[in-house]
Amino acid sequence: MLHPSAKSGRDRFKGLISRLTAAALYFLIGAAAPLWAQFSLDGLPVQVHGFLSQGFAYSNDNNYLTMDTSRGSFAFTDGGLAVTSQITDRFRVGAQAYVREIGSLGHGHVTLDWALGDYRFTNWLGIRAGKVKTRLGLYNDIQDEEFLHTWALLPQSIYPTDLREVSIAHTGMDLYGDISLKEAGSLAYTVYAGMTPQDKSGGYDYGLRDQNLVARKITGSQRGADLRWTTPAPGLLVGASFLNAPIKSDGYYLPFGTPYNVKVFGDARTEFYAQYTWRNLRIESEYSRELLKVNSFAVLGPVGPPVIRTDYDRRAWYAAVAYRVSKHLELGTYHSRFFPNANRADWPGGPLPPAARHIFDQVVTARVDLAKYWDFKVEGHFINGYGDPTSFRGFYPMDNPQGFKPYTNLLILRMGVNF
Amino acid sequence: MIERNRASKRSGSGVQRALFLLALMGGAIAYSVPTNDIVIIVNPTVKTREISVDDLRAIFLETKTSLDDGSRVKPVLEKGGPAHAAFLKAYLGKTDFALQTYYRSLVFSGTGSMPPVLRSDGDVVAYVEKTRGAIGYVAAQSVDEGVKTIRVR
Repeated sequence: MLHPSAKSGRDRFKGLISRLTAAALYFLIGAAAPLWAQFSLDGLPVQVHGFLSQGFAYSNDNNYLTMDTSRGSFAFTDGGLAVTSQITDRFRVGAQAYVREIGSLGHGHVTLDWALGDYRFTNWLGIRAGKVKTRLGLYNDIQDEEFLHTWALLPQSIYPTDLREVSIAHTGMDLYGDISLKEAGSLAYTVYAGMTPQDKSGGYDYGLRDQNLVARKITGSQRGADLRWTTPAPGLLVGASFLNAPIKSDGYYLPFGTPYNVKVFGDARTEFYAQYTWRNLRIESEYSRELLKVNSFAVLGPVGPPVIRTDYDRRAWYAAVAYRVSKHLELGTYHSRFFPNANRADWPGGPLPPAARHIFDQVVTARVDLAKYWDFKVEGHFINGYGDPTSFRGFYPMDNPQGFKPYTNLLILRMGVNF
Repeated sequence: MIERNRASKRSGSGVQRALFLLALMGGAIAYSVPTNDIVIIVNPTVKTREISVDDLRAIFLETKTSLDDGSRVKPVLEKGGPAHAAFLKAYLGKTDFALQTYYRSLVFSGTGSMPPVLRSDGDVVAYVEKTRGAIGYVAAQSVDEGVKTIRVR
């Protein structure tokens, strides 16, 4: 059961309203939305697309992803609405609203997911400006759209649902393009820089609160690049991404209100990925290494105490196989591994037990496509370990006041509609 | 009408042979085979008379928006049917489900939009005829004089 501070009665009421709204939207989207998908406004073509998903999560013992999963939780809702218009042959504008309530993440607040203008000069050069989704690995920019994936939950080692807000988008500019290599395939590149949007309803803020830190302000920036090579071998894509995303947080400690400051600098994440598709078979893998340097201190006076410097070496990878058996059924499995600090046992509060030094997740999924716009997934997670308190990946002491068990079995049912 | 490039298929370059061996090692042979059943049609404003399989694929996957001669092109799809199935198999190497998923990933990431999807060959021909830069595919017998066919090399 969740800690009382994590879920109040008011939150539960809001959750119920959110679920009822989701049900109503399900009906609307399923019945009428395809009619809205494309129309013309004052001569301009406008496309409207949307999605909505509702999940249920049930686990033994440990609560997961800020939900009350040990009792079974329906607090697993998200949706989005995108509008785009091709103004000229080269210029396109668009925006997407996104809302989620996954346990204590998102709070059901509607956020601007992306809003941009996109000008394509030529095949090898285009520019996007505004709030732009961050291209990182195979799926970072489409991690919320469950209907685009085999899985109910993407591998959390690489795509932590909790930390979505700090890597999903940036307010700034991208340069992108596609370069033909003739017989050697083609290269797609994206380079970008911008500010990380402030969002205090995500897992970063939740993770800080889990350590009795209440954030007043969370700011950050992103600079990065992605290079993906569509090889001449049919169906084979390989790529690499780099992201430098320092983040700073100011706030106060509970319960006495002592000010604190946390600065994550030199955050450098490098990812490598490969995907191979052949007919109905898809095999893919991603590897990520993130080097973090964290300065944290409590501000007690004009000078303050010495800065506590902690370095992390986060490593993660997954390998996945999915096979579409028929028009209506897809089966898949993946194995995902996350090491908060390269499997090291040393920790300021004492040595970490083995289960706190990693999170391994073996997953099996069946995806049923009931219609083109309607899918349903059944997914089993067999999780070994829970990570350290700074992992911010599903397991929070605040949600598990009885302490963690080393193993978690988790069942997820998730249904989605889109148009 | 589309012409198959039989000569290049017979001889093949060293790179193609190496890739074929690579695919064999991976237990997969999935090289696209152009077909005579469908033709690629463009709006008459498009200058080119031929297009490579790679360029055709890139245009329909929206990674390429103009041809080597500078013509801007916009793909149009058919909702289903034999021409659509043959086109996917011959040139895109994707199932219809995978293609729809791909387009949706462009839409929801803000990196692209869904091409127009029309119900029949006749609708595609009519759309290509009146839309500057449009490129589509139809069964060979559906072509009329208002559109231009281009060869796939």
